[in-house]
Amino acid sequence: MALLKGTLDVLVLKTVSGTPMHAFEIASWLEERSDGRVAVDDAALLQALHRLEDRKLLTAEWGVTENGRRARYYRLTAAGRAHLREESRRLADHFDALLTILAAKAGGA
Amino acid sequence: MRFELRPGVRRLFRLSPSTSERIRAEFDDELEAVIASRVDHLVRHGMSPDDARREALRRLGSALDDVRDSLRTSAIQRGRKMSLTDWIESIAQDVHYAARGLARRPVFTVVAVATLAIGIGATTAIFSAVNALLLRPLPYAHPDELMKVSIVMPGRGDRPTNFDQQWSYPKFKFFRDAQRAFSELALYEDIQTTLTDGDAERVNAERVGATYLRVLGLKPAVGHDFDRSLDASPGAARQALLSYDLWRHRYNADPSIVGRTVQTGAATWTIIGVTPPGFKGLTGQAQIFTLLTAMTADDLADAQLHNYWLVARRASRVTAAQAAAATAVLGPRISDAFPSKFQPAPWGALAVPLDDARIEPTIKRSLLILFASVGFVLLIACVNVASLLLGRAGARGREIAVRLALGAGRGRLVRLLVTESLLLALIGAVVSVGVAWVGVRALATIDPATTLRVSRESGFGAMAFSSIALDWRALAFALGLSVTVGILFGLAPAGATRAELTDALKSGRVSGAGARAPITRRLLVLTEVALAVVLLAGAGLMIRTLGNLLRVNPGFDAEHVLSFRLSLQSASRDSVIGFYQQLADRLRAVPGATSVALGSCAPLTGGCSSTLFARLDRPKVESGLMPRIRIEWVSTSWFSTMRVPLKRGRGFTEADRAGAPDVTILNEASARAFFPNEDPIGKHILIGLRGLDDVEVIGVAGDVRIDIDSVAPPAVLLPILAAPRLQTMIFVRSTRDPASLAPDVRNAVRDVAPRAPVYDMQSLTAREAAATAKTRFSTTLLVVFAVTALLLAAIGIYGVMALAVAARTREIGIRMALGADGRRIERAVIGEGMGLVAVGAVIGLGAAIVSTRVMRSLLFDLSPTDPITYGAIVVLIVITAAAASWVPARRAANVDPLASLRSE
Repeated sequence: MALLKGTLDVLVLKTVSGTPMHAFEIASWLEERSDGRVAVDDAALLQALHRLEDRKLLTAEWGVTENGRRARYYRLTAAGRAHLREESRRLADHFDALLTILAAKAGGA
Repeated sequence: MRFELRPGVRRLFRLSPSTSERIRAEFDDELEAVIASRVDHLVRHGMSPDDARREALRRLGSALDDVRDSLRTSAIQRGRKMSLTDWIESIAQDVHYAARGLARRPVFTVVAVATLAIGIGATTAIFSAVNALLLRPLPYAHPDELMKVSIVMPGRGDRPTNFDQQWSYPKFKFFRDAQRAFSELALYEDIQTTLTDGDAERVNAERVGATYLRVLGLKPAVGHDFDRSLDASPGAARQALLSYDLWRHRYNADPSIVGRTVQTGAATWTIIGVTPPGFKGLTGQAQIFTLLTAMTADDLADAQLHNYWLVARRASRVTAAQAAAATAVLGPRISDAFPSKFQPAPWGALAVPLDDARIEPTIKRSLLILFASVGFVLLIACVNVASLLLGRAGARGREIAVRLALGAGRGRLVRLLVTESLLLALIGAVVSVGVAWVGVRALATIDPATTLRVSRESGFGAMAFSSIALDWRALAFALGLSVTVGILFGLAPAGATRAELTDALKSGRVSGAGARAPITRRLLVLTEVALAVVLLAGAGLMIRTLGNLLRVNPGFDAEHVLSFRLSLQSASRDSVIGFYQQLADRLRAVPGATSVALGSCAPLTGGCSSTLFARLDRPKVESGLMPRIRIEWVSTSWFSTMRVPLKRGRGFTEADRAGAPDVTILNEASARAFFPNEDPIGKHILIGLRGLDDVEVIGVAGDVRIDIDSVAPPAVLLPILAAPRLQTMIFVRSTRDPASLAPDVRNAVRDVAPRAPVYDMQSLTAREAAATAKTRFSTTLLVVFAVTALLLAAIGIYGVMALAVAARTREIGIRMALGADGRRIERAVIGEGMGLVAVGAVIGLGAAIVSTRVMRSLLFDLSPTDPITYGAIVVLIVITAAAASWVPARRAANVDPLASLRSE
């Protein structure tokens, strides 16, 4: 399933809101939580991570994975947390409105 | 292709990799890590490594290379943006840090800023003079096209070739019609005239060709220019242009001035216009410009009457070299067309850019020497500030070492030091503008007309000292100078501290100073002393020159004599004699006046008139080979008024006048030159070619100098009553101060001749002073610079010795505890300071002997290696060094052994 435009950023922020993660962990986590319904290209994910880092919503640091590999770990900043809260609410409103319309009877004039 | 440094080069110079390179590497690593993690994951779930790798690449979404490129591109762009903001931020941080550092050390900051302000300010002021007098383009349209064209008169006997001879009208016409190199040419002549309608006023003026303003590319501010056709032939209409200044002050800027007339003696001129504001002709002094061709054909017919300067504008596409060559070719043709009896050797012609003729060579030389000197002062100021900063860096050694150890990059640290010195230099620059402003005002108020004539001898004086001003060039100069200085002396301590810093951290020493003052600071002080010695040598030589000039006996007694010029309009010879008699009687009646004399020349103001000379008791020679002699007309009372001694024979009497036999008095120089080992009294001579063909020598008088710095040339004195003149110089000796006498003298003249203008009124002492003005100007400035340099050097010596003593307090304490004598320690410290100075002084003396050679032409009766000057400098520098090291030495001698041991 392809993601709706603009939702990847907020999903990534949500993913790292708990503990810092590296790119592959983020991809895996998204896949698992969506029961495999959400699959993100690794390239697109990296772009998104860098974009969020640039906007100071994330910070990154080199670390070592449990398998002993070097990896960049991403962590949510305070600004990132606020952004996540705001975006989550906006998306919820958005989908709520969408669902309300879809659930309504088709009306005439 | 992108330019990249090879890694080897980078390592060699210890350069860190560039930001974009680092970012690229970082994101390549991350991309690899993501792929590797996915491969690990898939393999763990049972996939073969090859399949896992293929799957991982598929999951990227597009080809690996494309992904890498797009990631890199966006990453680098981001990196650039970040590093720029980082950079600005860190600069702001540096400036803030530097400012705080300076504010914490107010004494250091004030001393450094003041030192720099003096150095930069003085340099800027002198630069303004150099700029105005040597660099700034001439204030005419396309000044680079203007050339000064002169006749070259070959030398003869002891007279050198004159490369700047004026033109006669016939020669000019010949040249003008034969040449093709110039599009516009105009003659001009420096004259004085009297405006006689209304209040009589004596003014400087120029006789000019009709195309004068066109050559210069100027347009009249009011009215119109001379019509070009007026240049065609002599006897043209009498037309004149007024200077803007004259129009303002004499005619109240009357807008209907055009068409009115102005009277100069018997001549009436129609005013056709007013020149642009500020313009006073190429002589720099003209108030009125009369048409040259208004003179009669007779007046302009003499081909050997060389009275006129020539300025010309090159035709388009003719270079200066081509114009000069074309002019040189015409020289011999002019010579052939107008052969001279006086000088048969071929004459030439020479064209030089007007810009090259703008300033007299001695003034140019003085200015450049002053500029170099003030550069030395600046150098010393910089050395002092560098030394101060070095001292600070030493004191902060540990702080800096800690920062280094904590990972502050060396580059960052150097930048910090440079920021600090740059900030210091810029504050110094702001203050220096004030110093420069004062200096420039002082330079500009040196009266250009009476004291420093910028280039009157070449007929070109437009570049006056009054044009010196602080303009954007000078300010840009000051700014550029301070930025350079700031970076340079910021880097010096930064470089010098490196080795000391590691030491400082290792040893844990707080001061960072070694047992002796750091070698760098010693070298700086050495340099300072050497530079100061060079400046002192220059100043000393000028002082000695001035002293020699002031000691010169000019041959007359200048005290209490007021002199002025008087110009009568027209009168018959008899009435002139009567008039002068009446005037002299009236002047003698002025309270305090003791005697009154007439003469034709002012002493000490250069040339007057000269003519041919021959002894009648020798075989006749062709007039072209006769020697020349100065000629001066004086009244009977001239000798007693000027106190010029009569060495032999008799003086003039009232009987020596027109109609009586012609008599003359020689000066000693001509008696020596023309009558060696003979008594000239009673001999008969010929003077000039206009009637004085048998003159009897009746006496010999003392020599009177016409130039302060050269012995009087041969001269003859003639009785003024024999040939009364309309223009005379009048001398009044009195018991009063000449300044207080002046108004009474003016009134007295007005009583006798209400319409005759009195001008150029000065005491003879003022004329004497004017003769030494150039020397005094250079001397004053050089002395100021040298004293500043010496003071700065003294501060430098003091700084180094104080630091050395402070660093050795512990050692001195131990010595004292072991029984060393305070006096001996004091002597040792002074000795160390003197040693430092001695080396600097020896280097400086060597440099001074080499560099003061350029001053030779400015010196009078003095060798550039004058031993008295150099001896005085040595004494001065020894005293300064002793004084500067005395205070630290006292401090060393008073060290309390116990306290010093406890302090660490």
